Amino acid sequence: MPDGTQTELRRTLAVMKTPFNFLRGSADDQRIENLKRLTLFKELTARELRELDELLHERSYQKDEVIFDEGDAGLGLFIVLSGRVKVVSSHAALQRLAPEFGPGDFFGELALFEEAQRTARAVALEPTQVLALFRREFFSLLEQDRSIGVKILFELSRTVVRRSRKLLASQPHLPTV
Amino acid sequence: MRNEHPPGVLTWGVIIVVTCLMLYLFQRVIWLVVPGLLTLVGYYCLQPLVQVLIRAGLRHRTAGKLVTGLLFLVTILGIVLLLSLAATRVAGWKAVTAHYVQGGLDFLKQTEGLLAEKLPLLKRSALVRSTPTNLDAVAEQFVEKYLSWLVLQMVHWLPSLLLVPYLTYFILQDGNRFKKRLIQSVPNAFFEKTLLFFDRVDRSLQSFLVGLVKLTFLDTACLGLGLWLLGIPYPILLGLIAAVLAWVPYLGSMVGCVLVTMVAATDFPNEPVTIYGCVVVFICVRLLDDFIFLPLTVGRSLRFHPVLSVLMLFLGAAVAGPTGLLLVLPVLGVVVVITETLGQILTDERLWARYRHARYLQRTMVEVEYGQAGGGQPDVGHRDAGGQ
Repeated sequence: MPDGTQTELRRTLAVMKTPFNFLRGSADDQRIENLKRLTLFKELTARELRELDELLHERSYQKDEVIFDEGDAGLGLFIVLSGRVKVVSSHAALQRLAPEFGPGDFFGELALFEEAQRTARAVALEPTQVLALFRREFFSLLEQDRSIGVKILFELSRTVVRRSRKLLASQPHLPTV
Repeated sequence: MRNEHPPGVLTWGVIIVVTCLMLYLFQRVIWLVVPGLLTLVGYYCLQPLVQVLIRAGLRHRTAGKLVTGLLFLVTILGIVLLLSLAATRVAGWKAVTAHYVQGGLDFLKQTEGLLAEKLPLLKRSALVRSTPTNLDAVAEQFVEKYLSWLVLQMVHWLPSLLLVPYLTYFILQDGNRFKKRLIQSVPNAFFEKTLLFFDRVDRSLQSFLVGLVKLTFLDTACLGLGLWLLGIPYPILLGLIAAVLAWVPYLGSMVGCVLVTMVAATDFPNEPVTIYGCVVVFICVRLLDDFIFLPLTVGRSLRFHPVLSVLMLFLGAAVAGPTGLLLVLPVLGVVVVITETLGQILTDERLWARYRHARYLQRTMVEVEYGQAGGGQPDVGHRDAGGQ
């Protein structure tokens, strides 16, 4: 089959896959592209990102402003779009780590799994823009579209594992598994 | 978690007063409240359809337009059908209504006579003595008085009801965006609590309204089945009317029961078993409602103590009549959520300290920009923002 015909066929099949593709505009394509660049959402398709975008809340914080505090009810996670965020805690292990988060990183992810108190305080180190994903909205999305949930949860789990390993490594008396 | 106590006596006092005030206000703008409620019902029922279309690859706005277009088409078709039906049969309706009212009154008279025959004491009671003697005139008077009023009310409500697809369209299209804008305007310190607040209101309204629709379907099916087994004509239509009337707690169910009994008494005047069978069907469906259907549908959304529910129903009826009866429970549900969340925000000193701190940072930034840096840092709770 000639290359041109093959490309044409592929394009037609792509349109058939999503039956309403031809009705799409391009107003929010840039925003979707920006979301796609975030680690947490890198596996999501444009359609899934559009669905997710409806649930994300954008917030701006000034330098030194508290994003959430230790002991607050954790209601969701935050993704840094720009700026830097420092997490400080009264817990010894977290104190030693004193993690900082930059563009693309996310924090407060434990609140997505359980309605527990925040274990640390998050403070903006410079003017910072974040996206917030509220737990209940995320779970409604999970009920409606499991594929999005699986992709996000997989990425979240990877990060949580990485952070746990880092935490274990910082504790010399604990064995690393 | 801090500050998550159940509401105290004072808070409940505020909740009850605010609910009564809202009911009073709603009664004044009932022409707007009814389309608003129907819009919310439409929104919550159509939202899953919009989600399906989005998953099929459509944009949110396009999906909203398609679904609301469909709703608009159905509404227009419904109105056209209703008007054409009304135009051709309005004269007949008058006669039919008079016929059924007459049947109902006849049945009442028969029952009273039967009771008086079995229990001679009742012959002297006001109940039996006050029975209207000229039933034809009473039936005619009823039809003249209420049927014309009903038709006028339907015409009066038509423009308001046309608002329903229009408002549903905007809520489906921009509801979420509007909510996000509202949340965006809230200071950072209260952001998470505001999210929680919107979520709670959304959930309680959704579960109540969608639960009510489900309950109506279940009631219609059960009543329809029972009436069909008894051989009553138009069982599904009668079941649906009775189920919709049951939206008004207690009073609605009674009116529905009277309506169906009237139909049965007119169509089967010499079959008391069928007529009393209708009453038994109603009682059975009522019991099913109270013990099975309500807890499965609406009951989960509004977990109030039964005493409080009954008290609020009386209060609602006293403040706003039938409107109050219909709206008191959903309004109470929303007011409880609002009061609880506001109470948590207003009494959380740390949230306010964080808010003051953000204001201070903002002010300092502006002052630095204009070369006027100065001023003391306010208290931000038990630690500094950047503290360990």
